[in-house]
Amino acid sequence: MDRRDFMKMTGGTILAVSSGTYAFQFLVASGRSVSGDNIAAGTVRWGMVIDLNKCIEGCTACLDACRTENNVAFHGDNRWDVHWIRKVKAEQKIGTESKEKSILLLCNHCDKPPCAQVCPVQATYKRNDGIVIVDHHRCIGCRYCMIACPYNARYFNMKDSEHWQNEERPKRSHGVAEACTLCAHRLDTGRQPACVEACNNTGAGVLFVGNLNDSDSEVSQLIADRPTKRLREELGTEPKVHYIGL
Amino acid sequence: MNIKNIIQCRIGFFAALLAIIIIIYPLGYSLTDYAIANDRAEAQPFLERTAPEITDCVEDTIYMRYHHWELLGKIREEIVRYGKRGDVSLDTCKKCHTSRVKFCNKCHDAISMTPDCFGCHYYP
Repeated sequence: MDRRDFMKMTGGTILAVSSGTYAFQFLVASGRSVSGDNIAAGTVRWGMVIDLNKCIEGCTACLDACRTENNVAFHGDNRWDVHWIRKVKAEQKIGTESKEKSILLLCNHCDKPPCAQVCPVQATYKRNDGIVIVDHHRCIGCRYCMIACPYNARYFNMKDSEHWQNEERPKRSHGVAEACTLCAHRLDTGRQPACVEACNNTGAGVLFVGNLNDSDSEVSQLIADRPTKRLREELGTEPKVHYIGL
Repeated sequence: MNIKNIIQCRIGFFAALLAIIIIIYPLGYSLTDYAIANDRAEAQPFLERTAPEITDCVEDTIYMRYHHWELLGKIREEIVRYGKRGDVSLDTCKKCHTSRVKFCNKCHDAISMTPDCFGCHYYP
């Protein structure tokens, strides 16, 4: 046997045995395996309708409920505060006239989310039910998504949050971007998001969340019956938050 | 026939044997370690159960001891990325192992390893 055969044989044995052990790992692995989405694409598509005509000036029920439910960072300083939902003044200019309106602004859960497209680590992604979510375990804090978002709905945790009002839900540590999740943890268990619940408790009934694919749902009915607008539709991001009276 | 001749005749066999020994060595080492750890009484001081009526963990003790991070990683992936909120979550652990200081931290401190979970997830 010459040196060439010796090398071939050693290499071949190492390859055979190591690939065997590698395959063995999968055979003896635990029964729990991660499989695909529990919701088939296209059956559920969560969307929101906001009736701005009914929104009460100065009411912050939904904003407070969101903070309490999701432990959103609040330091009392605008440089570091995180807002998943907020009230902003939107200005619309038609010719020389301009009108100003106070609107609720939150993540629009776009069908074509620019934030998910730019994310270099796929931490931001769209679930099969249309909710756009940040996987904070994977986020590296590059803030591309904040630049990409045309609605300025994304925030960055400049500091560790000291807020832990709802101990069942995680808070965020320093260095991750975040936005509204449409309370995916509540929708998954068949409850309404915290903001919707709070809004209904005040009796205003401004916010509606439901399945846009189901034509009998409340949101689909509202979109069919009332004139609705979406923010920056011309960008083609297909946002799923519809405004009445914008 | 001296030893040199024997090696030269059977050199292919020796090459294969050497390769197998190199590959098997770490496997055997950890298997022995695994067997010793199971027998040692002092290797099991960590479990502090506060709910004695619950006797079963979601997986068996040996699996949890050596692979609990894999299980937690899989659950995390299911919940965060696929929206599958099953029976098992980090809250399930809290039912029996109520104190992180008395349970998780015992091993983690011993090997000076700090998991990132508890910066965001509440576990007193």
